[in-house]
Amino acid sequence: MLTMNNISKVYQTDMVQTHALRDFNLQVEEGEFIAVTGPSGSGKTTFLNIAGMLEPFSEGQYMLDGIDVGKLNDNQRADLRNQKIGFIFQGFNLIPDLNLYENIEVPLRYRGIKAAERKRRIEQCLEQVGLASRAKHLPQQLSGGQQQRVAIARALAGEPRFLLADEPTGNLDSLMARQVMELLEQINRDGATIIMVTHDPELARRAPRNIQVVDGQLADFTLYQGTQNLKAAGV
Amino acid sequence: MFLHYLDLSWRSFKRTPLVSFLMVLAIAIGIGVTMTSLSVYHMMSADPIPEKSSDLYTVQLQTMDEGRTWWTVDNMPLQLTYQDAVNLNQANAGGKRVTMVRTGFSVYLDSDKVKPFIGQARLTTPDFFDMFNLSFIYGGVWSAQQEADAAPVVVINKALNDKLFAGENPVGKMVYLDDASYEVIGVIDDWDITTKYYDLNNGAFNKTEQLFLPFSLMKARQLENWGNTNGWKHEKTNTFNDKLNSEMVWLQFWVELKTPAEKQAYQDFLMAYMQEQQKLGRFNREKLTATLRDVNEWMQYNNVVSEDNEILVGLSFMFLAVCLANILGLLLAKFLRRAPEVGVRRALGASKRQIFFQHIVEVAMLGFLGGIFGIILAQVGLLGVRQSYSYYQSLATMDLTMLLSAPVIAISTCVIAGLYPAWLVCKTNPAIYLKSQ
Repeated sequence: MLTMNNISKVYQTDMVQTHALRDFNLQVEEGEFIAVTGPSGSGKTTFLNIAGMLEPFSEGQYMLDGIDVGKLNDNQRADLRNQKIGFIFQGFNLIPDLNLYENIEVPLRYRGIKAAERKRRIEQCLEQVGLASRAKHLPQQLSGGQQQRVAIARALAGEPRFLLADEPTGNLDSLMARQVMELLEQINRDGATIIMVTHDPELARRAPRNIQVVDGQLADFTLYQGTQNLKAAGV
Repeated sequence: MFLHYLDLSWRSFKRTPLVSFLMVLAIAIGIGVTMTSLSVYHMMSADPIPEKSSDLYTVQLQTMDEGRTWWTVDNMPLQLTYQDAVNLNQANAGGKRVTMVRTGFSVYLDSDKVKPFIGQARLTTPDFFDMFNLSFIYGGVWSAQQEADAAPVVVINKALNDKLFAGENPVGKMVYLDDASYEVIGVIDDWDITTKYYDLNNGAFNKTEQLFLPFSLMKARQLENWGNTNGWKHEKTNTFNDKLNSEMVWLQFWVELKTPAEKQAYQDFLMAYMQEQQKLGRFNREKLTATLRDVNEWMQYNNVVSEDNEILVGLSFMFLAVCLANILGLLLAKFLRRAPEVGVRRALGASKRQIFFQHIVEVAMLGFLGGIFGIILAQVGLLGVRQSYSYYQSLATMDLTMLLSAPVIAISTCVIAGLYPAWLVCKTNPAIYLKSQ
């Protein structure tokens, strides 16, 4: 479903070349729930941005649902992103002037969905995240956990096949983090493919598949897992 | 999506009311100043009789002896001699023809209800009313016989009828002009032309006359010319008849020619007329010249819209450009502050084009609001012009064209100013804002 072959991403300044990703290879099958871990600056977010077509890559091939992303122009990438991908961010990224209903409506409007259908989907998603009664509230009237649930509802409203989550529980306390994680697991069980970047080992362990990014490349996860086990054993 | 973008624009306006207000104010001031000068320019240069301006021609004849010069660009006198004006009017050539001159009287009635006052009058031949599309409320024009007989009849305008006869039908009533009585035979409706194109002497933007009388009365009653009289050689003009027979130019002559063929035929007629006059000792020059100019050519020839007005309009547009430069800066600051939100929208599926149009719609809305407030400021400006210079009374107004132009100019110029900020914000890399928000 998602295939990255030898993807490289180089940030170029006048003096310095920074290789955020190098020869990055990954295959993701439909319905997977993948946790992406790795140290800060390792390229996790760059990977997620490229996967979400928010950033172009320098080299390699990226196939999404059989479509060669590298050959698309900006409008085509925007359309594909809108139709197939939902984003969940650490900082929620809700638009402060719009109420919950309108925030969730944003991707649906860009897709050109008619008002009645938009209403149906929004109400369904708000129901799913348990905020149906708060549709007219503004984001700042909600707690962090509630805002993240709205962000998830917004990501779900477009009925995406992919959910890309960048530290979705990073700004939440443990109770809320657990609730959000349970929601993501439920969404995965309903059929969505989820790629989640996280620093939290506990959350990563809950994902069926873990990958680690180190220095812009996929690390050997067996080694990583072994290291974690040794740490856990106090060695 | 357009309505959605309008909604977003209005929310953006409310989110930053001070900056938005400053932008609208800057646009309004720029548009107000521009529309004030542009409206005056527009009224000055407007075609005063668009339905037939290209069919009406004024005649200029080169009457001066060889070597004499006039102050016009082509060395042609601006008016005709009495001899030529009468001859051309009586000749069987061309369509409708009008010979005329401006005059005036002290006007009073055989009652004490209206105080005597000075009235502006025009001595003209009967085709005047039909040629310049004047309509009658009461009565009509004098007959050819009355013209030939120098009958003491008068046509008055609506305003004068209101003043003298309270707007009632005055046909058959008498009015006193100087020391003689005249019978009112008609009342013309309002004649609101901004440019007095048929006689540009003594001010192109003066009001039209209140009284219209047969041209033949001038000779019969030796009525004075209240317009310009110009001579180009020394002549004895001790008597009224001397003046009529002189080479002084002081009359206006218009002819209606509906086709190019008619115009050419009339041009040929004028040349033949001058050759004939040469045999009588006039037109002492080798090359004979007769010019026909239609209404708009005549206005241009007489510099009705002066270069000063054009410079003023140019300066006002430059002022608008300065206002827009300020708006550009404010837009840049406002839009770039919104880059994180744009990043979210891009992540949620908005294309660069959609982001660009969202911001252009916002700029257009600011332009529209600025245009509306600009119209109000322009009205204040035009009121000031009217109060300061009564001569500009009919010019310092905004017609429908200008009213509609104001928001169009405001929107289009604002959109031009907003292109760069909108382009800048739409090409922002969304990824850098999503993590940092």
